[in-house]
Amino acid sequence: MIRNPFAPAGRALALAASLSLAAAPAAFAQDATEITIGAHMPQTGTLARSGQAFTEGMQVALKMCNAASPKFKVKINVIDDESTPAKAVSAVEKLASDGAVAIIGGYGSNIVGPASDASDKLGKVYITAGAVSDELTARGLKTFFRINNNAGYERGIATLISDLKPKSVSILASTKEAPTLLAEGLEKDLKAKGIEVTIHKFDPAITDFKPIINKVKLQDKPDIIMMSAYENDYVGILRAAKVLKPQVKLMVGAWSLATPKMYTEFPDLMNNVVGTSFLPFPVEVKDAEGQKFAELYKQAYNKEIEYLSTLGFVETIVLCEAVVRAAEAGTLSKGGLAAEMRKTDRQTMLGRIQFNDVGDNPNFSLSMGQHRDGKIVLVSPKANATGDIVYPGLPW
Amino acid sequence: MTDLILQALFSGVLIGSVYALVALGLALAFGAMRIINLAHGELVLLAAYMAYLVESRTGLDPYAAIPLALVVVVGLSYVLFQLVDRIREHRELNSLILTFAVGIILTNAILLVFASDVRSTSSPFLQDALSIGPVYGMNGEIIAFCVSLVLMGMLWWWLKKSWYGRAVRAVSSNRNAATLMGINPRRIETVSFLVAGALASFAGIALYTMSVIQPSVGHALTVKAFIVTVLAGVGSIPGVFLGAILLGVTEALTVTLASSALQELAGMVLFLLVLFFLPNGLFGARARRG
Repeated sequence: MIRNPFAPAGRALALAASLSLAAAPAAFAQDATEITIGAHMPQTGTLARSGQAFTEGMQVALKMCNAASPKFKVKINVIDDESTPAKAVSAVEKLASDGAVAIIGGYGSNIVGPASDASDKLGKVYITAGAVSDELTARGLKTFFRINNNAGYERGIATLISDLKPKSVSILASTKEAPTLLAEGLEKDLKAKGIEVTIHKFDPAITDFKPIINKVKLQDKPDIIMMSAYENDYVGILRAAKVLKPQVKLMVGAWSLATPKMYTEFPDLMNNVVGTSFLPFPVEVKDAEGQKFAELYKQAYNKEIEYLSTLGFVETIVLCEAVVRAAEAGTLSKGGLAAEMRKTDRQTMLGRIQFNDVGDNPNFSLSMGQHRDGKIVLVSPKANATGDIVYPGLPW
Repeated sequence: MTDLILQALFSGVLIGSVYALVALGLALAFGAMRIINLAHGELVLLAAYMAYLVESRTGLDPYAAIPLALVVVVGLSYVLFQLVDRIREHRELNSLILTFAVGIILTNAILLVFASDVRSTSSPFLQDALSIGPVYGMNGEIIAFCVSLVLMGMLWWWLKKSWYGRAVRAVSSNRNAATLMGINPRRIETVSFLVAGALASFAGIALYTMSVIQPSVGHALTVKAFIVTVLAGVGSIPGVFLGAILLGVTEALTVTLASSALQELAGMVLFLLVLFFLPNGLFGARARRG
């Protein structure tokens, strides 16, 4: 790999002047050969499962991006952020000093926040598909972009629940930032539609959910239990619900629930459970890009594409294309990448991707998928549905 | 409200029994050697993954993994003891650093071998509900509770009645005096570590049958075990059980009577209160007074 010899200049202001003079020819050489993108992803720690899936999607996206633009060879340098904010910030600084032209962010708003701040200070474009907090876009950073957001998840879940017209809903929400934000947004949405909502926030360290489910069963008596949480919480909640059998009609969750993996691992807990999704299973990808992604992913990892790997794929393909456009225009080393990112307007497996003034994708919205005997049927919104919802429908 | 409180008490006792099982090994090594094994949670987790391995590969009940878990975890405990035993200066402090490092290595080794996915038993029997009057538990929880009680009794008997058990207590009480009485402290410490490893094996399998495991939970298990050990007071096996039950019940009642978001906080407040008012622990102090 040919690296810009002046890339470490970001560490010292004294080199800034010489960098501005030297960067143009160096960058030209870089554009003509290899371009490096940096990524900090949790490969270890509590978020390792998500980070590994993202990384798989990223690698396939890179392969497809490079095949489409033979003039440039884009590489990704991935650093494990160990699921911690401090390590993520260090990773961004290291990646930037190693010559990365942009950074692909990790997972979790509390990690992406400081990491994208560091990236902004270094003048590097930062893209993420793993942080949905509204605070991230409220900062107004000119280098920050993301393809998914809390509003999209909220819209998908609220549409489903509103269509089912329940009298009351109990929301069990992890106290982590994203689940709390989603729960509070849903509470507001659903209450405005006349649905009674009770939120039970829980510490992420909880493993026994029976006391909470018992409260829901005996006090709330809702029609629907909504879980704003993560995979390990879903298993604990569903297991406790299976033991206590509250008189509800549906169990609904958010991300990483309506996935083939969850059904494979916990078939007795998942049937009829609903979660956010964008693809049915068995995978039916309609567009050519999605089909190619699914094919290459299967070749590389011997499994079907899933939610997290697709997020990693989409963010990478969007960034890679913008990098190539900026390189072709000769603006890559002159701050042109952020401008190219703002010009993005393309269809992806997640729908249309555009970025507004604060780098958010206003078009992001998800469907809802229901586990059905090993398959995932899209049940909401009606425009994307591949089948009718089983309601009432419970795993027990 | 009565039903809510009864369920909270029942759930608290069940989860507390697993806390006790996890804490026993740590308490034994701490009592015998004054060493806090910060890799203990990872040893428990490793045993849990052995249960996953056996269940997923053979379809057998997770408890069928006991022999494999014993071989792997007790073997690893022996290696860990050999490392700790090489420390010549400031053993209590340096062993903390060493076992913490071993814990990190184990976590990452588990991550490499088993990936980061969430795992738990798929046995329908272990997940089936069991109702006792108005309260409910899973079969897996009831079995784990029984395993915890039996092991606690066996350990208590071993420490009170067997020669090795008495030797462990003697070394724990005064290492030099024990040596003068013809006890080989190194051998006794080795035995303590091996027994702690065996307890970790059972704890891991019990954990797998009633909860979810991921490579990252080892550290949290160590912290929980440490809290229980301090609550109980050094050297009290019944104290470990009662301290763990107290912690479990406090957490469950907090969820029922206050907020589920405060559960972990309630446990830590209990821990601090005991440290403040009874620095020797709930049962360590009583033993000293006796």
